[in-house]
Amino acid sequence: MLLLDIRNLTIELRSGGNSIKAVERVNLSIKEGEVHGLVGESGSGKSLIAKAIVGVLNQRWKVTADRMHWRGQDLFRLSRKKRRQILSNEIAMIYQEPSRCLDPTSTILEQLLESIPSDQLDGNLWDRKKQRQARAVALLHKVGIKDHDQCLQSYPHQLSEGYCQKIMIAMAVAKKPDLLIADEPTTALESTTRAQILRVLKGLNQLKNTSILLISHDLETLSDWTHTVSVLYCGQMVESGSTEQIFNRPHHPYTQALINSVPDFHMELAHKSRLFALEGSIPTLQHLPIGCRLGPRCPYAQRECVKTPTAHKDHNHSYSCHYPIDYSQEQR
Amino acid sequence: MIHYVLRRLFLLLFVLFSLSVLTFSLSFLFPGDPLNNLSGYQEITVNQLAILERKYKIESDYFTQYIAFLRRVFSGDLGISFNSQAPVFEQVNRIFPATVELAVYSLLVSIIIGIPLGIISAYYHRRLPDTVILTTTLVGYSLPVFWWALLIIFTFSLHFGWFPSSGRIGLVYEVPHISGFILVDILRSDIIYKYEALKNALMHMALPTLVLTTYPTTVLIRYTRGSMLNVLETNYIKTARAKGLSPFQVLLHHGLRNALLPVIRLIGLQFSSLITLAMITEVIFSWPGVGRWLIESIYQRDYPAIQGGLLAIATFVIIVTITSDILYKWFNPVSRTQVDGKF
Ligand SMILES: Nc1ncnc2c1ncn2[C@@H]1O[C@H](COP(=O)(O)OP(=O)(O)O)[C@@H](O)[C@H]1O
Ligand code: SF4
Ligand SMILES: [Mg+2]
Repeated sequence: MLLLDIRNLTIELRSGGNSIKAVERVNLSIKEGEVHGLVGESGSGKSLIAKAIVGVLNQRWKVTADRMHWRGQDLFRLSRKKRRQILSNEIAMIYQEPSRCLDPTSTILEQLLESIPSDQLDGNLWDRKKQRQARAVALLHKVGIKDHDQCLQSYPHQLSEGYCQKIMIAMAVAKKPDLLIADEPTTALESTTRAQILRVLKGLNQLKNTSILLISHDLETLSDWTHTVSVLYCGQMVESGSTEQIFNRPHHPYTQALINSVPDFHMELAHKSRLFALEGSIPTLQHLPIGCRLGPRCPYAQRECVKTPTAHKDHNHSYSCHYPIDYSQEQR
Repeated sequence: MIHYVLRRLFLLLFVLFSLSVLTFSLSFLFPGDPLNNLSGYQEITVNQLAILERKYKIESDYFTQYIAFLRRVFSGDLGISFNSQAPVFEQVNRIFPATVELAVYSLLVSIIIGIPLGIISAYYHRRLPDTVILTTTLVGYSLPVFWWALLIIFTFSLHFGWFPSSGRIGLVYEVPHISGFILVDILRSDIIYKYEALKNALMHMALPTLVLTTYPTTVLIRYTRGSMLNVLETNYIKTARAKGLSPFQVLLHHGLRNALLPVIRLIGLQFSSLITLAMITEVIFSWPGVGRWLIESIYQRDYPAIQGGLLAIATFVIIVTITSDILYKWFNPVSRTQVDGKF
């Protein structure tokens, strides 16, 4: 069964009289036990989608969707309270800047303790207190922090970004969520810590069958362990499918450009591709092109592209482009 | 942290030093003879002249004179007032607590009212309670204090006759002067009619406190609200919500501490404007404090008194400001646990 099923998610920024569609008609679905990658340049709206799922966008944003189902239940139709309950019990989110997600004025211990749900404990008040302490230490061990005593007594500003990220993961897994949304969990980290964090996440998926929505701006992070990948450009979902499909046979010019910009893939795909990097940069929200938002940067763009392309579906592989890359001739 | 406190204390010393230099130089800048201005004797006889010249070292260089001035300040000798020919130091000492009392109670009232209202306002952001509170504070913020004071006196004192409009306590009560804080003095004395006296003092205090507290309360409400709103937008609040804590728990465990930290600093900074407003309030309510005394001295060109009052008020304000700064650092774990020298 689909864990999360989102159809035509649109996120608008209300500014003055008009509103800007920062994210336009995005589809996203995640199966149970699946690791789904969401990739796109920074500013393409990945964090917005994640925040819209967990419902933490403020009044300035207007979120609409034809469907936002969590295990078959439409989240938009539930009361605020019920929705909050589901979100806080079953979905956990790790925000992009971990050190900013920890309260600067309370210790790691306090923050870790309060993220342990009380229904996982039993016994009287004293027992519960001890169990909580033990759980906190166990959680730290689970995410690879060994000097737990020192860590627990610290304030966030005394710890490095990597430590904060691990603590965020520890807090997120404390309630044993079904879906973990990790917004660029490794971006600010150096490579050894990055590998550790990815290992922790991978372990969570394999041992606990936790689904993960892994957000990244970097295709390389996703290549070896996601099951499915969605590629986002400037608030539009350009392509999504299984990891092999996306990496081996990208149909969308943008996906292809992304893959070619990674040196490793570049080597084997060199003879097929003409472009290594797209000209220009991602447009700002104030200057969005009409129709296909890749238009001004796309080497294949034609007149048709001023109309927004609809999604083509080919098995589980979908792509939104008027002139997708065709692999049929090559095969002949 | 220790380093920080030491640095603040050095700053304190430096500012106090500058203040003393300023006060000292006033005697020379004011019109008239420096010896008159320093000592407070307006007509100096030939006999006195020799004694005073020796005491104030008026023949020596400025540095020696300044050192002599400091010595006198520390021994509590600020000369005598032109006007009453009584020692300035004793006078300041006697009336200063009245001002501090008024200012501190007003500040307490503004903290007790302002901070909760600011939090409520932020909690109900853009809903009815917020709008009501915000509009009211805007009115309170823009009221000129003397006009507001007169309005209050007309309404509650003259029209309804509920509260007295001047003085600190009715003339029938004789409260011995111990600490100068009237409530404390009444409670510690053993006069007959103790509780009547207490009630009377409180009645006298009501209107000036109400007037004086208006401005700091509105400032505190707006500032607390803004600070709270900022904190509620942060990611750690979102994370705390996502943990499944109730909105109230989030506010209590993560909102308050973070939002109130900048407020502590603001309270310290507000203190100087509070003292200024207290002076005006004292004049209107005939409150026997240092503000009214200072303003009267200014009218009468009583230079020794002006110097003394200035020195006392400025020292007090500086000490309060620096203390609140240190408290802010102390309550803030980010700066408290930081490596020394890093800010
Ligand atoms: N608070 C905000 N106010 C205005 N624009 C915002 C805000 N947050 C994000 N945006 C805009 O929304 C777009 C998507 O942002 P985001 O989802 O953070 O991108 P990503 O996570 O993919 O880097 C960006 O163009 C960004 O400028
Ligand atoms: S629709 Fe047109 S502009 Fe957009 S990606 Fe396809 S070819 Fe390029
Ligand atoms: Mg982001």
